[in-house]
Amino acid sequence: MAGLELLSDQGYRLDGRKATELRKVQARMGVFAQADGSAYLEQGNTKALAVVYGPHEMRGSRSRTLHDRAVINCQYSMATFSTAERKRRPHGDRKSTEMSLHLKQTFEAAVMTQLYPRSQIDIYVKILQSDGGNYSVCVNAATLAVIDAGIPMRDYVCACTVGFVDETPLADLCYAEESGGVSSLALALLPRGGQIALLQMDARLHQDHLETLIEAAMTACKGVSKVLDQVVRQHLEEVSMLTGE
Amino acid sequence: MKETPLSNCERDFLLKAIEEKKRLDGRQTYDYRKIKIKFGTDYGCCFVDLGLTRVMAQVSGELVAPKESRPNEGIMFFNIELSPMAAPTFEQGRQSELSVKLNRQLERCLRNSKCIDTESLCVVSGEKVWQIRVDVHMLNHDGNLMDAASIAAITALCHFRRPDVSIQGDEVTVYSPEERDPIPLSIYHMPISVSFSFFQQGTYLLVDPCEREERVMDGLLMIAMNKHREICSIQSSGGIMLLKEQVMRCSKIASVKVSEITELVVKALENDKKARKAGEKCGFAESLPQERITALKVGKTPVEVMDVTEQANDIVQKAESCSLTVHTRVPSPLVPVPGVGQVGQGQQTTWGLEEEEEEEEEEEEVDEEEESDNSSEQDKKVTKMEEEDSRGDVVEISDSEEEEVVILHPETADKALKNTGSSFHQKGAAPSKQKRKK
Amino acid sequence: MEACNTSDVTLRAFGCEHNLLSRPDGSASFVQGDTSVYAAVYGPAEVKVSKEIYDRATLEVLIQPKVGLPSVRERSQEQCVRETCEASLLLSLHPRSSLTLVLQVLHDDGSLLSCFLNAACMALMDAGLPMSCLFCGVTCAISADGQIITDPTAAQEKESRALMTFAVDSRERKVLMSTTKGSFSVHELQQCIAVSQKASEKMFQFYRDSVKRRYSKNL
Repeated sequence: MAGLELLSDQGYRLDGRKATELRKVQARMGVFAQADGSAYLEQGNTKALAVVYGPHEMRGSRSRTLHDRAVINCQYSMATFSTAERKRRPHGDRKSTEMSLHLKQTFEAAVMTQLYPRSQIDIYVKILQSDGGNYSVCVNAATLAVIDAGIPMRDYVCACTVGFVDETPLADLCYAEESGGVSSLALALLPRGGQIALLQMDARLHQDHLETLIEAAMTACKGVSKVLDQVVRQHLEEVSMLTGE
Repeated sequence: MKETPLSNCERDFLLKAIEEKKRLDGRQTYDYRKIKIKFGTDYGCCFVDLGLTRVMAQVSGELVAPKESRPNEGIMFFNIELSPMAAPTFEQGRQSELSVKLNRQLERCLRNSKCIDTESLCVVSGEKVWQIRVDVHMLNHDGNLMDAASIAAITALCHFRRPDVSIQGDEVTVYSPEERDPIPLSIYHMPISVSFSFFQQGTYLLVDPCEREERVMDGLLMIAMNKHREICSIQSSGGIMLLKEQVMRCSKIASVKVSEITELVVKALENDKKARKAGEKCGFAESLPQERITALKVGKTPVEVMDVTEQANDIVQKAESCSLTVHTRVPSPLVPVPGVGQVGQGQQTTWGLEEEEEEEEEEEEVDEEEESDNSSEQDKKVTKMEEEDSRGDVVEISDSEEEEVVILHPETADKALKNTGSSFHQKGAAPSKQKRKK
Repeated sequence: MEACNTSDVTLRAFGCEHNLLSRPDGSASFVQGDTSVYAAVYGPAEVKVSKEIYDRATLEVLIQPKVGLPSVRERSQEQCVRETCEASLLLSLHPRSSLTLVLQVLHDDGSLLSCFLNAACMALMDAGLPMSCLFCGVTCAISADGQIITDPTAAQEKESRALMTFAVDSRERKVLMSTTKGSFSVHELQQCIAVSQKASEKMFQFYRDSVKRRYSKNL
């Protein structure tokens, strides 16, 4: 994509945002009545749907039961219509398996699994429209779904993808920016303690810029956590109004 | 095979030792194990030893059609094989979590960082490009497979030479290594991954964990860098929570380690280049350590073949002389149609009980003797035939097209009933067919 | 009945190393000229219920090629090696167990199957598995002009008219396994077998020497 300026001289990006601005986040919890917890999250044009079942008895391979904790089972898939070209294999290929493993790792760090020994918690995330920052949007949606399911967590898990262009970190990359060969860093954070649950970076970045990039990512995540917090409180108000408290 | 669980006392011991800043093999917290790099006979093959972890990488190239989205770029394909040789828990063909993880990490480390100029791999834009395939085989798993694999992969890529290609109009000619010297790949930089393992919820950190340490660790942080201090990839795995300061500290340690390892790789490549230029034989065979008592090498040895011809003649004559007597028992094959041989009269198989019992008896006898593959079948047929002959009936050989009666050593076949097997067990009916047609 | 010319029959330089990998129970590398192979043995160990045999050990042979995934050719080579090993191992001493033999190609310059067999025998010895006899593999090629070549290189194999591999046992020099490719006469076959038996004597002498060397020092 030669010729596209990812960051103009005035500091505006392709979609008119400033460097540290996040995309618009819209979310709804309790989308499905059947699942224990569900959430739908939109971050700009990226749309993700997360569904949580659990905690329930181990299904499938009994041998994987852990005697002191719950097992978290994640599955990440993309809808075939989510990308510009129809996706041939929505799940089962290496990238999806890797994403599922990353999600599992993120939530194992955040969910208090010691409270549910010998059980299993299933988290299913589906990307309905992909416009960059797939992993981050999945994590945010899954956080809301887990909260909707009433499973205790240490803190909100917020994620954001940041890129580095012209010595400036750009928060919340969209697809055009991601595929433009920008070094992108995906970070999943527990905002209160500043603990990083997952850190993933591709493409070349000089070591000296690493600190600035991580700082920018953490600030962006804290911004996301504020929005998520607002969504949760709003949902709680609606639910309590309905049940007449 | 199922993984043997780590005992609690071993786990406690390891953790306690780490708290006291002691490691099982006496290393310091930031020390790497000894790295040895050797090369194979052909270009693109290298062996890396990281302590006891052993890994082999092979690079190969072929001309294919490019991807539609990138018509003027070559294709890089990475494949890490967790060979069942490396650990008893690795199974052939199963895509375990570890295999997916290692594959994706290596792909991200080498492909996304654009260490190889893929545009130089293009031969004819949109039609033919080079597909460079890197196969990494794990030979022995003693911890830290990722680092060993990344060193092996990048070293093999630097060592590889692809055949020279020339384009004249529409024709593409690929020259073999004898016609024109093969050319190396154009590599921008060498990303090398460094693994950090965390213990006790991130309190303690070790570089280059060995297999036991990997079993008790909480999580792993992999940082891939090149010697220009550019970070090519970072990946944290396992359910650990990191702090920003820890990540910064790890990246600083990684830059030091990477520059050391890159020096080692460059030196190894240079040594190999010098040796090949000087015309010395290079390869795994040459690098067999001679001074160890577990290794032995013997030079070219001649084999005495003085009486081979006589011995062979003897055996063939014996076989042929007996085949004369055999002919009375077995009718020579008729050739009703070219390409079809018929032995016997092709009567209806009578499935009478008598025959079945006899067959069972013969089978039992044969089973008791320890044979290997076909010989049991052949012996069975031999014994069956002899039994029938002794009854004086016409030889009833079954209709089955597969059963070619093979009589190799009739005089020993008599003994076959009593002894354990004839002296030569041979596959294939080729020799017998030729014998009969003579 | 052509008389083959067997004037200069030589074996290439060969070497082996024992116990070079720490994880497997027995491991060996075998080198014949430029062809080199790694062999590793795990066992006797737990076996999957679906594969267990009530009175014998279950032997599984896996051959890993250098590039790509194992294909039908590797399967047929696995079969040859497995049959030879089953003929010489005392499998009934370890019922309901599994023995896994993994062979990895390091470089193929001809006589690959015989290299597999030799490496397998060394690895089984290194693992301490009880065997009734040792075995070795010898490859013979008959060139276009009727000469018998033992231990051919890849170039010689390509130009040969017939290619044969025999597994010979150590006690009575009997042929445990043979696999052939190409066309040849009965006489040529018998000659090749006799040549292989002569060549196997050198191999067995080498086995003895290498094991003697290994245990020459008391640790």
